[in-house]
Amino acid sequence: MQHFLKGALAASVFTLSMGMAQAQDLSPLNSDSEPDRMDWSELEAKFGPLPAPPAGTKVGGVSKTLANEYWRSLGQGYQNVATALGIEFVYQAAQSEGDQLGQLSIAENLISQGFNALLFSPQTDANLIPAVEAAAAAGIPVLNVNDAVIPSATQYVGNVQKGNGVNVANWFIANRPDGGKVAVIEGQPGVYAAGQRTAGFTETITAAGNFEVVASVPANWSREEAFNAAATILQQYPDLIGFYANNDGMALGVVEAVKAAGKQDQVAVFGTDGISDAYAAVRSGDLTGTVDSFPVLTGEIAMEVALRLMAGQDLPRVVATPQALITKENVETYATSDMAALRAALMAQ
Amino acid sequence: MNSMTQSPLLSRIKFREAGTLLGLILIGAVFAWQSDTFLTTPNIINILQQSSINACIALGMTLVIISGGIDLSVGPVAALSAVLGAAMLVAGVPVPLAILGALAVGVFCGFVNGALITWGGLQPFIVTLGGLSLYRALALIYTGGTPIFGLPDEFRALTNGSVLGVPNPVIVVAILAVLAWVILNKSPLGEYFMAVGGNPEAARIAGVPVTLTRQMAYMISGFMAAVAAMILIGRLGAAEPTLGTLWELDAIAAAAIGGASLMGGRGSIFGTLIGAIILGTLRNGLTLMNVQAFYQLLATGIIIIVAMLIDKLTSGKQG
Repeated sequence: MQHFLKGALAASVFTLSMGMAQAQDLSPLNSDSEPDRMDWSELEAKFGPLPAPPAGTKVGGVSKTLANEYWRSLGQGYQNVATALGIEFVYQAAQSEGDQLGQLSIAENLISQGFNALLFSPQTDANLIPAVEAAAAAGIPVLNVNDAVIPSATQYVGNVQKGNGVNVANWFIANRPDGGKVAVIEGQPGVYAAGQRTAGFTETITAAGNFEVVASVPANWSREEAFNAAATILQQYPDLIGFYANNDGMALGVVEAVKAAGKQDQVAVFGTDGISDAYAAVRSGDLTGTVDSFPVLTGEIAMEVALRLMAGQDLPRVVATPQALITKENVETYATSDMAALRAALMAQ
Repeated sequence: MNSMTQSPLLSRIKFREAGTLLGLILIGAVFAWQSDTFLTTPNIINILQQSSINACIALGMTLVIISGGIDLSVGPVAALSAVLGAAMLVAGVPVPLAILGALAVGVFCGFVNGALITWGGLQPFIVTLGGLSLYRALALIYTGGTPIFGLPDEFRALTNGSVLGVPNPVIVVAILAVLAWVILNKSPLGEYFMAVGGNPEAARIAGVPVTLTRQMAYMISGFMAAVAAMILIGRLGAAEPTLGTLWELDAIAAAAIGGASLMGGRGSIFGTLIGAIILGTLRNGLTLMNVQAFYQLLATGIIIIVAMLIDKLTSGKQG
């Protein structure tokens, strides 16, 4: 062992050169509270129509995993704009959401290929930092697109995560004026989106006065864990009136638990994300609602922001993308695959 | 016991290493033909840099596998050393001391694994499977699930610097590989690894300190995991408790492609290095060709199986 330790110490102290220490004077990004921000709907009014990209523009996108519908839809949005404007676009993803180093390799490999801008959706807050630094050194603009937040990111395009929870809380306040007991099924502990969504819901609904959050437990984005947690909570609080789950997969697990307990009429269930299963469940009345963050449209907006940056426009650090509470009343308005109509509906919101 | 088996065994391993290297060259040739960027110096450096962490883990894994064991806990051990090391760095502990501390954490985890296996008499697979959850849980509990940011630039400079264009992580792993090669091929410990993995009973009768040998293998593996963790957190500038997911499988794949037998008693440091570079090259080349993730996974699976088939065929011929 001894010479191993010596070897490593020698390696770290003697043979290494000191280099490449960079300073970031931007404050660490908090995408929900960053003051330098704007809403997507103001882009055109404030910065004019989308500038035409020069011929031969190449944009690369790296997202979490294509095994998740959300990231496929986001890529579809990128591609929509790229196809419409004749831009070359490459979309890559890691093999699974746990594959942090693989995603870093992919991002680094793209940097060496001469892209004009890169759209990163990192697995964690830190795993793509070397690629972001390398891109900065190479002068390539990088956009952090949903939902992990790179603290040193200069440009972020994505959802106000806290707003998801606030939207659901406001529904309860408007539709359950008598108040009551509610519960939160949280995503993975420590994940920014999960924490913000929960905080938005809990703070808003508690401030209303007559609601009580009786349980707030993590189910790690898992439908099965959410089912078990909801079943336990329903047993403990038979007079519960509602659940808010940090994503739709978990919300659908909760729906099953509520059905099994025979409390569909008493308990309202909300999810987040607006995946197609959730839309189907909202239509059939199983799921009371979901907060859709419109991944295809988000992808289009992110690509447009990238093109605006390349054209030299001085955009705020955070561009917030649309979200809307989907319930049985408005589900058909938002279920459209016609992005122009969707934009109009959201603008009118 | 050596004079009879040594020379054919040695020539077989060299034959096998040459095969692995040939595989790498073939894969490289295909990518060079498909992509203009592939054979450029920055890209080659990229591949080496990206392979270095897996190679580091795989070196330790190779020694464990040769000694007839397996270490599934490498990723979480790395995560635990990463967060404890990062906590020390952020708290202002001098950099060399914090690095030593983090490495000690890795060695200690390896010691615990080894102790449960040797003195506890438990199976390596089960012990390190337990470790996979245990060390991950400790890292998550310690950090409350949130990453530790703000590592000092002085520390980050160690992993982000380079010597004559070669990134420091590559140099560190190269040095460790030379050390591992010397241990395996030029030291009594190396003979013990081979003997214990080949036939533990015969080794015991021949007077090999079996317990100590296996203990050492796991401690080296823990040490390598901690080194990999230091390299990674230096590059990221942050230590995440979730770091190191699935590292054990990548490392086992690299060792197996490089000729290590999961039955123990056989494996090669050089082969493992090439194996790690093959995996890194695949990922790099397929990304350059814009092949989607699902097909990258498919390609990795095919390469591992083809390597094993070739291994089987050649070892059949050799007798």
